[in-house]
Amino acid sequence: MKQSWAAFAFMGVLLVAVACSLVVGLEPAGDLRDFVFYELRVPRTVLGLLVGATLGLVGAAFQTLFQNSLATPDTVGTSAGAALGALAALVLGAQSSLFLPAATVFAFLGALLATALVSSVALSGRARLEEVLLAGVAITLAAGAISQALHAMADAPALFASAQWSLGQLPQVGYQRLLLAAGPCALGCAVLLYRARELETLALGEDWARSLGVETRRIRVEVLLASSLAVGSIVALCGPISFVGLLVPHLVRRWAEPSARSLLPLSCLAGAAYLVGCDVLARHLIGGRELPVGVLTAALGAPALFFLVLRPRPRADGQKPPVLR
Amino acid sequence: MTSLAAGSPGAKLAKLSARALCLGARLCDVSLELEAGQCIVLTGPNGSGKSSLLRVLLGLEKPDGGQLELDGRSYDGWSRIELASRLGWLPQRPGLAEPRTVEELVAAGRFRFRESEAVARAAAERALASLDATELVGRRTDRISGGELQRVLLATLVAQQAPLLLVDEPANHLDPEQQVAAYRALGRLWQQGHGLLVVTHELGLVRLLGDPTRVRVLGLAQGRVVLDERLDSPQLPAALARLSGVPFRSGGRPGDVSIDWEALE
Repeated sequence: MKQSWAAFAFMGVLLVAVACSLVVGLEPAGDLRDFVFYELRVPRTVLGLLVGATLGLVGAAFQTLFQNSLATPDTVGTSAGAALGALAALVLGAQSSLFLPAATVFAFLGALLATALVSSVALSGRARLEEVLLAGVAITLAAGAISQALHAMADAPALFASAQWSLGQLPQVGYQRLLLAAGPCALGCAVLLYRARELETLALGEDWARSLGVETRRIRVEVLLASSLAVGSIVALCGPISFVGLLVPHLVRRWAEPSARSLLPLSCLAGAAYLVGCDVLARHLIGGRELPVGVLTAALGAPALFFLVLRPRPRADGQKPPVLR
Repeated sequence: MTSLAAGSPGAKLAKLSARALCLGARLCDVSLELEAGQCIVLTGPNGSGKSSLLRVLLGLEKPDGGQLELDGRSYDGWSRIELASRLGWLPQRPGLAEPRTVEELVAAGRFRFRESEAVARAAAERALASLDATELVGRRTDRISGGELQRVLLATLVAQQAPLLLVDEPANHLDPEQQVAAYRALGRLWQQGHGLLVVTHELGLVRLLGDPTRVRVLGLAQGRVVLDERLDSPQLPAALARLSGVPFRSGGRPGDVSIDWEALE
C-alpha cells in the first residue's frame, strides 16, 4: 500500500512544517512571545495550510477535469482572472460595501469571469480539451496585458502596493480576515471533495463517464465555480502563488501512485505540507529578511518538477521509454 | 453468476426502440429494437455509421430526426443515472489517462448505484471472478496486457448490471485465444438474459455467442440499414458479399460465416 505510506509521509512533513512555523525563532517567554505566537504565528500557519491545501486540491481537480496534466488554475485562466480582479480593486481604489473586502469580491468575479469564458468553450460541446486549454492560455495572456495597462495608469502608492501583492506571499492577517478567506475557500474545497467520485469517473473520459451515469456538464460547471471561489479568495489575499497547483498533484502521482479516489485528498495534504514548509524557509532562509513565499514555491517547484517528475520512468514491459532525438 | 438478479426487478423488461434515426450524413432512417434476451450483430464497412449509431443509442449524441425510446419513454426524460441502469457500453480502446488499479476501474461500473466504496469493491471483485480475472486484483490498468485489459473492461460492464449491453469491437487487438474468450464471455451474458448489440467486423467469431438462429445480423452502408438476416440464413453470405465487396461463404455448420478465400483468389 504505497499510498498509505505516502499519506503518512505527507502528514509527517506537514506536522514538522507546522511545528517549525509555530515555534522556530520564538522568544523564550513573556508577553511579546504570547503576542507573536497567538496573533502572528497561529493565523499565518493556518493561512498557509488553507492556501496550500486549496491550491493542491484545485490543481488535482483541474488536471482530472480537463484530463490534461497542464491544467491548473494558473493555466486555464482562473488565477490570472483573479489576479486581474484583485489588481483592479487595488489600483482603482474600489471600496466594497459588502461584508467582504473589495479585493476578494473583485478577485472572485475575475476568477469567475475567466473560468466562465473557458467553460463556455468547454461546454460548447465541440471543443477538444486542447482547445479549452488554448482558451485558458489566451485568457491568461489577455489578463496579463490588461494588468500591465492598469499598472501604467496607477499612481506610485498603488503601484507599490500592487507590486508587493503580486509577489505572492502569506500576509500578516488577523483572525477576522483569515475567517473571511477561509469561508469561501472551505466551501469551494468541500464541493470538490464531495464530487471526488464524479471526478474520478470523469477521468475515464467524457463519453464513458456519461454512459456510466455521470452528468458531466453539471459536474464541470460545479467544479469550475467552486474552484473559482476558492482560488479567487486566496489570490485576493495572497497574490498569485504559482507552481503549487501544478507541482503537487504530479508529486503525489509519482510518489504515492494513488488510487484515483485518493488523488484529491492526498493532493490537499501534500499541498498544505509544501506551502507551510516553503513559508518556514521563506521566513528563515535569509536572516532578518523575509522572502515572498511565492518566490520559494516556484524556485523549489521548478527543479522538483524537472528532477522528480519528468525523470524517465521504467515501463511495465521493461523497455526504455521513447525519447525525443 | 446472476448478473441481472441483483438488478431492479423490471430489468429484464428493458427495451430500446429506435425509429427512423437521422444524424447529418452519417445516419439515415435507421430503425431497430433491442430487448433483453435478444442479440443483434451490427456490421458494415468503416465509416458506414456503426459508431455514430452506437453513440446515438447510448444518448451521447442527439439525433437530428427520428424517435429514440427506452422502456417506452423518450430519451429526453432519462437522467444519465437512469440510462446507465438500462444501457451498458463496452468502449473500444477507452482513454485511461489516470492509471488506477483493476478493481478501481471495475468499481467505476458501479457508479450508478451510489454505494459505499467497500460495497462497490466487493461487487467489482465478484464481477472480476465471473470473468476468471480474480488474479488481476491489485494490478494497475497500465501494467496489464491487452487481453487482460479487455477482461477487466468486460468485468466493468458486468458490474454495471445493465440489461442491455452495447459492445464495440470486443475482439479488436486481441490474440486468437483472447478473442474467443471475449466472445464466449459475451455469449454467457446473453444466456443470462442480457440484450446484446455487438458492433464488429469479425463475423467469424459471432458464432461463439450462442444459438445462431437467434442472432440477427444488421449491415450498415452509408448510414442506412442495407442488410437484415439471421446468422444461420442461407442468404447471409451473399448479402455480406454485397455489403463488403468481398466474397463470403457458409461453412459446414449453421452460423459459420467467413471470407471465401478461394473465390477471392
